[in-house]
Amino acid sequence: MSTPLIIAIVIAIVLVLMYNSLVSKKNQVENIFASVDTQLKKRYDLIPNLVSSVSKYMEHEKSILEDITKLRSEANKPNISDEQKIALDAKMSSALGSIMIAVENYPDLKANENVMHLQRSLNEIEEQISAARRAYNQAVTDYNNALEQIPTNFMANAMNYQRKEVFEISVNERKNVNVKELFNS
Amino acid sequence: MKTLSQLTDFYYKSLHPTLSELEEDRMALKKRIIVTQAILALIAIAIIYFMFSSAVFSIDILAFVGFGYFALAGIAYKLLIKDYAKDFKFRVITPLIKEIDINLRYTPSLHISEMHYTRSGIFTSSPDRVSGNDFVKGKIDGISIEFSDFHAEKRHKDSKGRTSWSTQFQGLFLVSEFPKHFKGRTVILPDTAQSTFGDFIGSFLQSNNFSRNDLVKMDNPAFEKEFVVYGTDQIEARYILSHALMEKILDFKQRSNHPLNLSFNGGKIYMAIEYNKDLFEPSVFHSLLKYKIAMEYIETLHLAIGIVEELKLNQKLWSKL
Repeated sequence: MSTPLIIAIVIAIVLVLMYNSLVSKKNQVENIFASVDTQLKKRYDLIPNLVSSVSKYMEHEKSILEDITKLRSEANKPNISDEQKIALDAKMSSALGSIMIAVENYPDLKANENVMHLQRSLNEIEEQISAARRAYNQAVTDYNNALEQIPTNFMANAMNYQRKEVFEISVNERKNVNVKELFNS
Repeated sequence: MKTLSQLTDFYYKSLHPTLSELEEDRMALKKRIIVTQAILALIAIAIIYFMFSSAVFSIDILAFVGFGYFALAGIAYKLLIKDYAKDFKFRVITPLIKEIDINLRYTPSLHISEMHYTRSGIFTSSPDRVSGNDFVKGKIDGISIEFSDFHAEKRHKDSKGRTSWSTQFQGLFLVSEFPKHFKGRTVILPDTAQSTFGDFIGSFLQSNNFSRNDLVKMDNPAFEKEFVVYGTDQIEARYILSHALMEKILDFKQRSNHPLNLSFNGGKIYMAIEYNKDLFEPSVFHSLLKYKIAMEYIETLHLAIGIVEELKLNQKLWSKL
């Protein structure tokens, strides 16, 4: 075999490998985003129940509850982009967080079995969402790295791949729960 | 659970009469061992001397005598310490475990079942021979736990048909319930590739490890430096390994100071801590009252049983739906 032919074959193999690794990275991002989406939907499904069971008691938090309902209907609209979903999730997490803290001020609510169950379910889903977000961020980081690093960046340019956004991980999530502090407050 | 210093107090105060009695046994035993070994050595030397002088000397016979000597010496040692070891486990380790938690059952002669070891998936091939002892089982605050000394070996055959054994794992093997619900398998191993070959080649090797599931990169740099995670599900692995749990595992690793392997499978957590020696055996040539010796027993037990406490703490924050 002639040398130019060998070189051509090697280049072709390298190109194919690069192309495939980029495609698999992009698909990994999409796959994991689908799981994030499922978890987010699960959480949105809990919201009507939550709002109806706490709104009777909560007088001062009416505006937050309205916000939550509004966010949910926005999230349920068809054809919203991934970026919008990410932004809605951030708003939703902080609104739900403040409701959960506010529950502590209502002894009746705290003792309510339905609310307790909702709280537990929300905590559980929050954990799942957090895990899915972290997995998504890692997949996006791998993808973005491939887009910028040599030699895959040339290939990505040619394929017209765009950088993707990651979820902002809230400070609260990174912090370990400090039981002592909970008792002191 | 009792703190480390409470347990140390218990060891030195409540167990003191027992320890002094055992100390006397130990001294006597030490003398007996030295005398027996000396006699055996003299016999071996006498045989070799006799062979030299009678001119039937050959390397094969010398090797045979040497081999016989080491085998006999080993057997003699084991026979001699047998009663003492039994006594020590019954009178020191048993009360110590009862002191940590009354609900724990201790069986010196048993070990953890091989099924647990294989099911953990920490080791990619199943062992050809397993042994172990010092089996502890029970429930601590509603969470079941069992652990034991465990030794798993692989058999090798060379071209001449001779078999030899190599250690796959030796140390403490622990199984406990895990309060989160999950379907797949997540395995956490010490990060040897990245620390030996550096970040670039190391992570390339890890992501192309075909005997394992997919590499799961964790978002805690300190954890990622110490461990490598493989899992069947990227999201589930992160669901199990929350930031809080990663911190706890790191902390556990630093305290135990031995290579730590973990796995999560079928609702259970498996831990394999490599000590590369038989644990909870009485010391023969050092005093049982020596602080360093005492701490080894106490610390190992405290560390193993304490892991449940850490998991239980989390259980209140989660709910197994």
